[in-house]
Amino acid sequence: MSNEHPDRGGPVARLGRVVGAVENFLITVLLTGMILLAGGQIILRDIWHMALSWGDPLLRVSVLWIGLLGAMIATREGKHIHINVLQRLVPPRLATISRALNDLISALICGTVSYYAVLFVLMDKEAGTRAFASVQSWVCEIIIPIGFGVMALRFLLCFLQRLMGKTPPLEDRIQTP
Amino acid sequence: MIFLAGALLLLLALFGTPLFVVITAAAMLRFAHAGINLSVIPIEIYRLAETPVLLAIPLFTFAGYLVSESRAPGRLVRLSHALLGWMPGGFAIISLSACALFTAFNGASGVTIIALGALIYPALKEAGYSERFSLGLVTASGSLGVLFAPALPLILYGIIAQQQGVGGSFTIDQLFLAGLLPGMLMVGMLSAWSIWKNRGQPLHPFTPRAAWEAIRESIWELPLPVIVLGGIYSGFFAVSEAAAVTTLYVIIVEVFIYREIAIRELPRIMRESMLLVGAIMVILGASMASTNALIDAQVPTHLFELLRSQIHDKLAFLALLNVFLLFIGTMLDIFSAVVIMVPLLLPVAVGYGIDPVHLGIIFLANMQLGYFTPPVGMDLFLSSFRFDKSIIEVYRATLPFFFILLIAVLIITYWPALSLTLTGR
Repeated sequence: MSNEHPDRGGPVARLGRVVGAVENFLITVLLTGMILLAGGQIILRDIWHMALSWGDPLLRVSVLWIGLLGAMIATREGKHIHINVLQRLVPPRLATISRALNDLISALICGTVSYYAVLFVLMDKEAGTRAFASVQSWVCEIIIPIGFGVMALRFLLCFLQRLMGKTPPLEDRIQTP
Repeated sequence: MIFLAGALLLLLALFGTPLFVVITAAAMLRFAHAGINLSVIPIEIYRLAETPVLLAIPLFTFAGYLVSESRAPGRLVRLSHALLGWMPGGFAIISLSACALFTAFNGASGVTIIALGALIYPALKEAGYSERFSLGLVTASGSLGVLFAPALPLILYGIIAQQQGVGGSFTIDQLFLAGLLPGMLMVGMLSAWSIWKNRGQPLHPFTPRAAWEAIRESIWELPLPVIVLGGIYSGFFAVSEAAAVTTLYVIIVEVFIYREIAIRELPRIMRESMLLVGAIMVILGASMASTNALIDAQVPTHLFELLRSQIHDKLAFLALLNVFLLFIGTMLDIFSAVVIMVPLLLPVAVGYGIDPVHLGIIFLANMQLGYFTPPVGMDLFLSSFRFDKSIIEVYRATLPFFFILLIAVLIITYWPALSLTLTGR
């Protein structure tokens, strides 16, 4: 993917927008579902003294999914938690270099996690382990390689944009709200 | 070699590399060094899906965002004024309590100063409190309340500490109980000072009519603390159940009864709140992996042995801990501090005979103070920015509050029974 050239109106930017829309949609649906299911479980238990056996495991997997989707969005908007004491103190040029370096390292680390997560998912798919009910484990795990993969690509894109002297749209990574 | 890599990672962190990347990189280096296949990292991350109490994090965060987006903060201020405006320092006391309650819901991420402080500050001045006192109170109470249920930092501490399993097991509910008295001590000491400081101040007579109207206005939100705090502290709800009930209740009240948040706004609020959840979750996931790497490399054991040779007794260790945590609290936000520091500190503290529940309270009390410890506490800048005051003015205004809470933190640290009595530990 290293031959991807960041171009605001080009296919990369369009793809970015599509992925962003999918993330937004999924996170809304997931959170709504979680609220309803978690509330429903309590009502079922307290009023009819019953519970959906797949309810709790599904909720737990949703937490992982929502966490990674949220992290993907945080990458998109440049809002990951970080400390930033030195960047403010060094000359602007050095600060720019350090920002580019941050993006490159983040891309490398996320890419590595994604690679090993693919292996992990494939292994579980082959073994055919079940997470709960008739849901296979690999289906629940698939968000890990996807999430870290998308984050890696976004960091990489940011890095390339900085190399070309552009400021990525996700500038201003301030910690405070 | 390992030392060099560690120094490099620290430098990266200080230059603004996202913390989850730094922590993951540290774990990878360690595993690679020990010849362990890096597939353990996604396996550890998957443990996020195997920890039931984590469900509380997205739910409470979303509920907190909803409350902040509604006009609830304004109602809270009017209610406070109507009920306690007649008493010297009364409005200040209620402001402190309101901030503590609000922060307990929002998890101390600076939202309190922005959402509630911005309303309380002008109201305090209008009620006759001096500008400096008002500014100090609002800044200092921006992080008050992290010791009360259902504050996310408490839940997070519980999760991380349980995962380590040193010093005996405990439940999140016990942690909530442990925070109760220390949290009240903080609010109580600040309240006492507020009364004394404002003893000559003009008072507003209590009118039943105004009080009744303020109560009627917020009648739907008043049960909220009862549901959450009562439900959790009485043991009626598990933490994640309380989160689900709270979220449903808040949606019904703010969206359908008060109609202050349109349904079409919900996806945006969901996205914004889940962005924060995502940022916390990847750090948590990374720390699940790095904690194992730390234990594997026996880092806490070595750290303990090193400290033990220098510091012999528990009291000296606690003093050092206070200084260290205050420093960390000015540098790191509370979530990353818990995730990064607890795996290192907990085994050491247990080695010195400190109860893990007590350590959690000490840890968070220090972090809370760190938020406005001069010169670099985050809330000082936030307040200076939000209220358009020079940073020096903010320092001066918060200093008395800082010293009062410092005393509270010392009491909490050296008097374990205050935290542990209610838990029966």
